[in-house]
Amino acid sequence: MDTPLAWADHRIFSGSGENFIFAVEEASLFSLTREARETLSRWRTSESIELDRMPSPDLEVLEGLRDAQILFPASREKALPPQLKPAEVPLSTLVLEVAQDCNLRCTYCYADGGTYGAAPCLLAPETARRAVRYLLDNSGDRDHVTLIFFGGEPLLNMQAVRTATREAISYGRKMGKKVHFSLTTNGTLLDAEIVAFLHANHVSVAVSMDGPRDIHDHNRPDESGNGSYSEIVSRLAPLFEDASVPVAARVTLAPDQWHRVVEVFDHLTGLGFHEVGIAPVSPVSKALLPTAGQDASLLEGFGLLAGRFVAHARKGLVMPFSNILDLLGRIHLGQTKSLSCGAGFGYMAVDAKGGFFPCHRLTGEADFCTGNLETGINTDRINSCLGSLNEGREESCSKCWARTLCAGGCHYENHLRENHLGLPRGTSCKFIRSWLDLGMKTYAELRTDGAIEAMGRRLAQRAQC
Amino acid sequence: MKKKRPIQALNEKARAIQSLAEGEEKSVEALQEGPPAMPVGCTTIFDTGWETNPRPTYPIGNCQSSAKDFHGCAGDCWWPAQVPDGLTNHEDFDKQCPNVARDWRLIKYD
Repeated sequence: MDTPLAWADHRIFSGSGENFIFAVEEASLFSLTREARETLSRWRTSESIELDRMPSPDLEVLEGLRDAQILFPASREKALPPQLKPAEVPLSTLVLEVAQDCNLRCTYCYADGGTYGAAPCLLAPETARRAVRYLLDNSGDRDHVTLIFFGGEPLLNMQAVRTATREAISYGRKMGKKVHFSLTTNGTLLDAEIVAFLHANHVSVAVSMDGPRDIHDHNRPDESGNGSYSEIVSRLAPLFEDASVPVAARVTLAPDQWHRVVEVFDHLTGLGFHEVGIAPVSPVSKALLPTAGQDASLLEGFGLLAGRFVAHARKGLVMPFSNILDLLGRIHLGQTKSLSCGAGFGYMAVDAKGGFFPCHRLTGEADFCTGNLETGINTDRINSCLGSLNEGREESCSKCWARTLCAGGCHYENHLRENHLGLPRGTSCKFIRSWLDLGMKTYAELRTDGAIEAMGRRLAQRAQC
Repeated sequence: MKKKRPIQALNEKARAIQSLAEGEEKSVEALQEGPPAMPVGCTTIFDTGWETNPRPTYPIGNCQSSAKDFHGCAGDCWWPAQVPDGLTNHEDFDKQCPNVARDWRLIKYD
């Protein structure tokens, strides 16, 4: 008698006339012939499969499914995902809130005009220096770490940016570690001197721009209500010229702008950005919550961009759409997650007063303050505050096919929806699943016509960084 | 033309899983189809590389001497190796572990 086999969690789907199966626990993706899909449909409701009792026409498919570990010995206990503890993960990335102040007044800002709900405040250079040392001292055996300059508008405090950069290079050298720098700016304060500094230190720059003038000016006015589009565009050329690392546009769109994502993407690549990433706005108020129709319009736009990505890939070109590149990279490797992101697990933010938070978006939320530069990071506190946010989520996640790719979604987004707006759990699940579904279909399409081969390494590198 | 496999790996993870299974299959095929001059007995320095279990039975893929212990020492055999009682309490003990390299954690007999 053969060992009885049981079904691993899986999802069957179709795209471009082909059938596919995604094994949830492993995040492995296979194509199925029509016959294999038919055989699978016949047997997938059987609780137990004994291969030596199966009719021979079905045997080849069922053996293939066993080899793919979609059928596994029923006696095998289900492996639990590894339970990481924040204290066991050395720091890899530190976000410095160098300026909790901003010269713009973006309509959707989650940081209350850059201040994160407090009085405007700049990070003192000495605090910046200490934070950099804290990152390097607590980075364990990692030989590369990342320092992110964030705000508010970080260019309002170039003194802290310069001090932190110098310290990271010199202290990093002493410790035999390399520091990567990244900076997110609204672009209005870029000048020749700053651009030269960014280039010289290989800083990855993301400029927040929301697309064509009308959208951008509506979303991102200055303190007197004037749009900031012209101010930024006039300062971009030197940034693109001789850039040693790609310059990205970081787009935020409100639900009533989601139907214009393709136009936004085209506009920004047209301006010369090397890469464009588009984020739906976080619902800081109920007014920014999308309707089902708006969700559908965003997915439709992303779908059109994914289609163009495939067409480019067939010509050997990589379309610089960050969202799909990141997702395809993870699907390509079959990366599974037991945590939705690195917040609190190697990734931390320091606010302008030296307080630690699990991520830049949770900065200023008193419930999520998890230590300071004096006392160090309180890892128990990270566990408890993120734990309370995720309490009860496992139940619904355990039934979801997307769980190993999503692992619960963005903490901050969940916090806004559930704690601030009082919505029930899981209001963004449908959108996330649809987006992951689009990524899988796009990947399957690229794989079946071989277009992914050329970009496989690049995708893998992207997913691993 | 080679017949299309009914289940084809697409991403890297799927490839790794399928090639793991292929590797196992091949070692069994090689041993089943090859000349019957398989070395038997304990592993010596002369038969390195041919140390895997030559029988088409479980446990597939472990070293020959351990496979011999695993089966040969069960039941009425006198050899005092640590195997479960295959006569009365754990008749199908070896079925828990169809492949030693992959499933060794499943062996839970006392």
